[in-house]
Amino acid sequence: MSGLTLRSVRKNYGDVPVIKGVDLDIAHGEFVVFVGPSGCGKSTLLRMIAGLEDITSGEVSIGDRVVNDIEPRDRGVAMVFQSYALYPHMSVYDNVGFGLKLAGTPKAIRDAKIRDAAKVLQMEHLLDRRPAQLSGGQRQRVAIGRAIVREPDVFLFDEPLSNLDAALRGDMRMELARLHNDLGATMIYVTHDQIEAMTLADKIVVLDGGVVQQVGSPLELYNNPANLFVAGFIGSPKMNLLELTSRPEGNVSSAELSSALALNRGAWAGASLTLGLRPHDLRVAPNGPLNGQVRLVERLGNETILRVSLADTTEITAVLPGQDEFAIGQIVAFDFKPSSALVFDENGRRLPSPG
Amino acid sequence: MKTASPNSLIARGLIIVLMIITLLPFLSMLSAALAPQGTYPNGLQWPSDPQWSNFVRAFEVARMDQLLLSSTLIVLGVVPLSVLIATMAGYGLAKLTSNKYKWLYLVFVFGLTLPFEAVITPLYYEVRALGLLNTRFAIILPLIGLYMPFSVYWMRAHFLNVPHDLTEAAQLDGATRWKEFWLVQVPLARPAIMSLTILLFLWTWNQFLLPVVLVQDPMQRTMAGALGAFQGQWGTDIPLLCAGSLLILAPTVALFLVFQRQFVAALMQGAVKG
Repeated sequence: MSGLTLRSVRKNYGDVPVIKGVDLDIAHGEFVVFVGPSGCGKSTLLRMIAGLEDITSGEVSIGDRVVNDIEPRDRGVAMVFQSYALYPHMSVYDNVGFGLKLAGTPKAIRDAKIRDAAKVLQMEHLLDRRPAQLSGGQRQRVAIGRAIVREPDVFLFDEPLSNLDAALRGDMRMELARLHNDLGATMIYVTHDQIEAMTLADKIVVLDGGVVQQVGSPLELYNNPANLFVAGFIGSPKMNLLELTSRPEGNVSSAELSSALALNRGAWAGASLTLGLRPHDLRVAPNGPLNGQVRLVERLGNETILRVSLADTTEITAVLPGQDEFAIGQIVAFDFKPSSALVFDENGRRLPSPG
Repeated sequence: MKTASPNSLIARGLIIVLMIITLLPFLSMLSAALAPQGTYPNGLQWPSDPQWSNFVRAFEVARMDQLLLSSTLIVLGVVPLSVLIATMAGYGLAKLTSNKYKWLYLVFVFGLTLPFEAVITPLYYEVRALGLLNTRFAIILPLIGLYMPFSVYWMRAHFLNVPHDLTEAAQLDGATRWKEFWLVQVPLARPAIMSLTILLFLWTWNQFLLPVVLVQDPMQRTMAGALGAFQGQWGTDIPLLCAGSLLILAPTVALFLVFQRQFVAALMQGAVKG
């Protein structure tokens, strides 16, 4: 087994660039998640690693081997598709064993491997069935089993859970994490769901518009987003983003803030800035700088989510611990620790934290 | 008991009328085939003394056993090879060609617009030049070619509907294109292959024009083609002619009865994918 390296990898469809130069190092045994909105190029990048898409320029290496011109079957990768892509005419047993059969693995060894994989995935009782007789979760298990038996260097997952219902998705997510622990294999996982990214990844790669926005551990990305895109993408509910203007005397103000904030941004006097506040970092405080009218209350039991419309009708989200009562239309005010506020310049780049 | 509404009664009545109209010629043929030798039976008239022996005689004079063999040989020469080539071509055109080569498929579609009869004269000279006139190959080889437009169109339509993920999964599982084709695509194409086989069988078995033009010896023709010779020889003996025609029809009818479900499925498939 081995790691994986991408060096200035590009992909164009005709004249349209889709991947605009990606550099990435993935260590052996790492669980890496590519995350981003639809059309950001994450699936394309995965398919380039698999060998299902040509590489326009740059280099993809698995282990020490440049695989640009190597057929998918010889790259030592296995892939789990969003649609599962099981062979409908074969039993589960044959689906899982198809790759081994093609490789000419002796029947006894093949049988042992198929049964081992079935045991790991708790689907021994399904081996004689056809894919059509399985539920979505079971099909996904078979697709994963098909990948496991080939003992690939790198596992590739292309949005494997997005066809499952919410409860099942949670279960399968945990199983995938367990599987990664048990196998210790390198895994690359594509999703648009940031919860999946946060819970599964050793390392998250945030992509937008074919460009890597940031690479880091889930908490690094959450605590120190490199730019506005990452800040808005990672974290649930989404980070509140407020437009600000930095005043010459060093304070900042905005239409949304009822009182000026003592954020020392002297160097940026007069610049347009964006203030990022996590919903969880807002606290109710009668004289806080942010106040507005409650529009929506969601009570989850352990916490209460408020949607509040500020003076200029921008809406922000606050997540408060406990079960405090709020009425629609009620006026609330919030403050926050200056250290928890993130500030971005007009190009969306992160500035050193205030406070 | 449920009473049928007047509308459905009318519908049933119409269907029965339609069935009678369809079956009438065959019934008329049957009644004629049972008439005494040398008579001129007029239309639908059950003979007072049905001559079942006419069938035996027709079987003998038309050398039906030989015709059956000849027809079978022609079908075996045409159908498997056509299906094989069409399946491979359909897969290639659906899955392996880029947009640049779309026109290849259009060539086949263009072939669909050519009437059979339009090519029969050039075909005659070509077959003669190849020295195949009066052999079964004079029927087999042109038929394979003439069936290609439809068959390729049919198989391509099927392969277009197979999700591309399956191809990619097979590739990642270690399959070469060739293995993917045989182990994944062909098993999945079985319904389409079955219906194509049935249609080609029917068309070959009932092939009349090619055998009559290209092969002189009735024993080298298809059964339907041999009927032409039979008519020429026994045209004055109406009961015998009718008995012979019914015998020639029998294998297709028997086959239809056996494969009823597949026939209907084949026609339905055409209706949906049209």
